[in-house]
Amino acid sequence: MNRRTKRRIAAAFRFGFLGASLFAVGFPIYWMIITSFKPDNEWFTWPPIYWSENWTLDNYRVVWLGIQARITAQEAFTMQKPLQALKHSLALALISTTLSVAFGTLIAYGVSRYRILSDRRMFNLLMLRMIPPIVVAAPLTLYYSALNLLDTLTGLVIVYVITTIPYTVWMTKSFIDEIPHEMEQAAEILGASRWQTIWEVIFPLIRSGVVATFLFILILTWSEYLLALILSKVDVVTLPVQLSKYEGTTEGRVYGYQAALAVGVTLPLIVIGCFIRKHLVRGFTFGMVKR
Amino acid sequence: MTLIEMKGLRKVFGRNIEAVKNLDLSVEEGEFLVLVGPSGCGKTTTLRMIAGFEEPTAGEIYIQGRLVNDIEPGQRNLGMVFQNLALFPHKTVAENIEFGPRMKKVDPETRLRRVREAAEMVKITHLLDKLPGQCSGGEAQRVALARTLVTDPSVFLLDEPLSSLDAKLRREMRAEIDRLHQRLGKTFVFVTHDQEEAMTLADRIVVMRDGVIEQVGSPLEIYGDPVSHFVADFFGSPSMNLIPGTLSQESGKARFRAPGLTVELPPSFSQAPAGEATLGFRPEHLAVSQNGGIFRGEVRLVEPLGKDTLLYFDRGGERPLIAVVEGTRTFREGDTLGVSVNPDLLYLFGGDGKRIRRGSKGTGIRPA
Repeated sequence: MNRRTKRRIAAAFRFGFLGASLFAVGFPIYWMIITSFKPDNEWFTWPPIYWSENWTLDNYRVVWLGIQARITAQEAFTMQKPLQALKHSLALALISTTLSVAFGTLIAYGVSRYRILSDRRMFNLLMLRMIPPIVVAAPLTLYYSALNLLDTLTGLVIVYVITTIPYTVWMTKSFIDEIPHEMEQAAEILGASRWQTIWEVIFPLIRSGVVATFLFILILTWSEYLLALILSKVDVVTLPVQLSKYEGTTEGRVYGYQAALAVGVTLPLIVIGCFIRKHLVRGFTFGMVKR
Repeated sequence: MTLIEMKGLRKVFGRNIEAVKNLDLSVEEGEFLVLVGPSGCGKTTTLRMIAGFEEPTAGEIYIQGRLVNDIEPGQRNLGMVFQNLALFPHKTVAENIEFGPRMKKVDPETRLRRVREAAEMVKITHLLDKLPGQCSGGEAQRVALARTLVTDPSVFLLDEPLSSLDAKLRREMRAEIDRLHQRLGKTFVFVTHDQEEAMTLADRIVVMRDGVIEQVGSPLEIYGDPVSHFVADFFGSPSMNLIPGTLSQESGKARFRAPGLTVELPPSFSQAPAGEATLGFRPEHLAVSQNGGIFRGEVRLVEPLGKDTLLYFDRGGERPLIAVVEGTRTFREGDTLGVSVNPDLLYLFGGDGKRIRRGSKGTGIRPA
């Protein structure tokens, strides 16, 4: 077998594998999108309809605009407020991510420069993330009900900040570690205060890393389901929770509505994903600080 | 006038790593002081204590008569050039230079003028709009100098700033720093492990070893009158020939013996204690001839450098014996030659590594 044939076979394997992966990831997304445009009589048909001839925006109208559905027993769904869920999800994700990144970055700075946490503590911090959320969910419910935090945005913000801070600390610390200490000492001896040094020297150098971290955490909080489900009920409903509510009782699963809502939930993630990709590439080549 | 004074300075890292042990040193105003020594000798730690980045475990540091132990680096009126330069990569050259004055709240107009002046002084006005990453090694070096001198510090601290440059550029920058020192008339404290850099730049050299000062003196004093085996070995390129052996006193005559070598020492060494000793002589003080000499050996390697030629003799020790001869003479590897040395230019070191000086009758060694 000559080298050329070998290369071709390798390429075939590579493309075959990538193609299969792409299909595994891409097909559900395709199915979600196509279903969201199908009229209700095509949701359950067998054989499945891969490309609808009768595409419609009805699902979107029902889900996002609250317009009365055509089929009976759908009133219940229009009553639910996806726009409010969107608002809640957005607020929750943005507020908790901002807080998590702000605190996390400062902690990371302290760990990187002053070792305020030992290696062991840093590891424990990461272990915090390894605890299955369900383990803490039940006790949290008790505490939250005692503290009147159940079913409030504040309650969810607190739990999201706490659960995401391990990530922000670990991620931003890796960026701060890359900056030579001399860079700060140079600023210091030139007369900059500690805050000026952080603002003028450290922050600009880790900015792309912080952006990448921010988007990563945003995705986490945006799509968080379990804690939102358990710690909130009526007043605060996030999109992932809302999504689950489209499993009706009498008419079974209302796939079309669910898909229309799911598109709204995943679309921002895909857009952010595209952003983060660019930033992550910059983030990972961050060691380019001239030494 | 004394500008910096260090008294009983000591620095211990962790539990028992003593980087600097009881150091007393003063730096005179306007002088170019070079701290030199092998890595781990405490020279950088000393510099960093002057800068304020390391807190002394014990001892005091005075700058312009003011005790600075508890004063932050930014308040000590110092300028520092770091080994890795530590230019801010996200700021342009102009912004880098402007940083110090801006932090000190100098008004924008004055700032602009001073940036320009500093840039002119080190000839980098054409780089002002570039980022440090776009500058070459030598240019970045100049930017670092400009960023330091723009703040008009009372002392310039330089921590091995030239170590990342290639040989030619290093010579250029050395000359540049020398010129800057003369032009500004400021005090420079320069750390290096390169003896040549120390010799060419310093007014005064401080040789450090294992956290203590081994010797302080002018470059020529250090070179011509080393106090120890260590200093003798450290300075000079090629370095001094040092031959370990024994010293014996026989009927008033000092005799040095080593494998394949016996040297009758001049009477001035008649007081020297017998025992383990090391004989030293500089390669340039050796004379080579066809016959005679204190040592005869085969030339193993001939290294023509142009003006001079280095001859390497293998005499069984760890290091070859090296002689510097005029480049016009031709030698071939394999030649057997005699090597002789002017007895006035011999150095003798005791078993403890300390120099054994000539007795009172002796002529003493003049700085070479």
